[in-house]
Amino acid sequence: MKKTFTSGLLAISVALSLGYTGASQADEQITLSMWHQHPEWRDKTEAILAAFEAAHPGITIDLEEIAGTNYTARLNTALAAGEAPDLFGLPAGPETATAAASGYAADLTGLLDTDSLRGSALEAIDNDGKIYGAPILGAYSVGLYYHRDILADLGMEPPSNQAEFMSMCETMLDKGITPLVVPASDGIVPSFIYSMLTSSVMGAEGFTELRQGKRKFTDPDMLEAARFLQDMAKCMQPGAVSTPYVEGKALAALKQGAMMPGGSADYPGYQEINPDVDLGVVPFPGVGNNKPATVTGLEYIYVVNAKSEHQEAAVTFLNWMLGDDAQQMVVDTITMTTNKNVVPAENRILEEFVQAARVNDVRVFYELPETSAVWNTIQQNAAALLLGEMSPEDFAQAAQDAVKVSN
Amino acid sequence: MSSPRAQSTLSSTYGHLWFVLPGFIFFLAVMLIPLILAVGISMTNWTGFGGELEFIGLANYAELLTYWPFYRAAMHNAIIFLAILVFQHTVGLYIAVLLNEKPRFMQFYRTVLFLPVIMSLVATGFIWTLMLSPNIGLINPLLKSLGLDFLAGQWLSDPKLALPVIIFVTAWNSMGWAIIIYLSGLQNVPEELKQAAAMDGANTRQIFWRVVFPQLSPAFTALTVLTFIGTFRTFDVVYVLTGPLGAPNFATDVMGTLIYRTAFGGSSFSSADIRFAFGLAMALLLMLIMAACCHLLIRLLRSREIEA
Repeated sequence: MKKTFTSGLLAISVALSLGYTGASQADEQITLSMWHQHPEWRDKTEAILAAFEAAHPGITIDLEEIAGTNYTARLNTALAAGEAPDLFGLPAGPETATAAASGYAADLTGLLDTDSLRGSALEAIDNDGKIYGAPILGAYSVGLYYHRDILADLGMEPPSNQAEFMSMCETMLDKGITPLVVPASDGIVPSFIYSMLTSSVMGAEGFTELRQGKRKFTDPDMLEAARFLQDMAKCMQPGAVSTPYVEGKALAALKQGAMMPGGSADYPGYQEINPDVDLGVVPFPGVGNNKPATVTGLEYIYVVNAKSEHQEAAVTFLNWMLGDDAQQMVVDTITMTTNKNVVPAENRILEEFVQAARVNDVRVFYELPETSAVWNTIQQNAAALLLGEMSPEDFAQAAQDAVKVSN
Repeated sequence: MSSPRAQSTLSSTYGHLWFVLPGFIFFLAVMLIPLILAVGISMTNWTGFGGELEFIGLANYAELLTYWPFYRAAMHNAIIFLAILVFQHTVGLYIAVLLNEKPRFMQFYRTVLFLPVIMSLVATGFIWTLMLSPNIGLINPLLKSLGLDFLAGQWLSDPKLALPVIIFVTAWNSMGWAIIIYLSGLQNVPEELKQAAAMDGANTRQIFWRVVFPQLSPAFTALTVLTFIGTFRTFDVVYVLTGPLGAPNFATDVMGTLIYRTAFGGSSFSSADIRFAFGLAMALLLMLIMAACCHLLIRLLRSREIEA
């Protein structure tokens, strides 16, 4: 009886000690929830997260990918309900500032190692001296992709200005080739095209003047950008105004068109659809004889939920992501880095984007408070312009009306 | 001694309310409280993101009175409603009558015709998008192979065709309801009435229009009201086929997409156009208008039933 009692006590104590050990291990293991909006990068982001988890055995990242406009809807609802993840992405600029002012984003000033960041990236995440997010997935530029083999077969070089583009368009149409693939259903790609066309006219200095009210979308030279975009409609694939982004990307990757506007982060998606795709990149052709242009913006920057119980672990993750090793993985597999120490090791496309962005590069409209609403306006009016239901003059006027001139 | 009896009377009079209580609490939690909150938020200028909000009274509702996209979207909903209504009361009724004759393989036909109702509209909408695409779709090549090249078109990007295509897909999806509702109505028509009419010399057509059709009034009422509610709540089919902007150039924009876009935005790049409180005002106003219209429809159609 005594033996049985002793065995029972031992069993209980072993069970309790095992339970305690298990509990203490569970306490040490932190799982950070994270949302981002690029399901097409799944393999690449999972490889980066696996590298982080290998380097930090106590932290696991639970990533959820939410595509397109659903991301904003889900995130806004979750933030309002206090159910947002530990880490989430936001566009740099007005959105991040609002998230900080609303108590959604933790103040990361002094907690992040930003020494390696390029000046432009540091400037973009700076909110009056405070930092609320880290550009861990780098930056992107938008230019013009082209199929090198299609253009080589036609004996053509990629276009650099309006006349060259329209001439190529006519030749390709005559040969039964779709010159330009534009998924315009949600108006986003046409908005990028218009941004690049107006940027080719005004350049980075002109963009500053536009925000100050010294330059206008309705200026005669700027009006040509809207006219060029409208003329470009005939070069697009049939049904461009209702082509969803996914279909457009597949058409482009599968060589159903010779050229397509796209960002540096789009390349992994093209490769995913067609591993043999042979693409090149140039800045988007300039309006008239203006220099061709690219636009550049930060990928969503990552903020730490101010209500997260694991802020320290989240900051550890962000700092690791800003480091050279993680950024090398980003630049080699996903998009352009904002880390000045890192250059692409084996990514020809990103090198071409870097070259393209040296010609005439302007920041994306939506990142700046003065032109944030311009983006939405051109997005909503692009189809009307392409269908000829809105004149270039009215289109440019609508864009101008959305500018909030800074003092 | 009188106390237990009084309690018993109270219990027998109101005791049944205890059975209602769980349902009422659920209704309160998921309907009434959110509705009251929604009314409150619709009287602010909250964007849906951040904590800044200000009480602005009925300003959102006043703005709606002159907000052109609201009327444009409502008009598209009304067109869809009328088209689907006509389709269901003609094609749906006709197929129900055919099925009521109990043809061979009736169960098979009924299952096939009802299948679109139980299938996810998001999934079927995506398949329709692929089929209708002028670049990778099946419809245009099929028409061309049948020598009907002149019918091939840019189904979802031509502003004149896009809304009819939305109507077609909605009709395909909802026809099963019409068939089932009419079929149940037809099966409830007493055989004796038809036999009596036949004995009085009525032909098949006369029996249908003079005897059977009036008996279908309750089915007509139910289907009309359900169609009205369903078509004014249309969202998924438009969102999947033509996107959150109701492409091309808002030619297919309906109340559902307009409210979604206003409340949650139409682009993941910028939230500058999001006005959550304004979107809520739209949704609440639409709910009121729909409730009023349903009330009128039911009164009108019920009076017709009584006359019939």
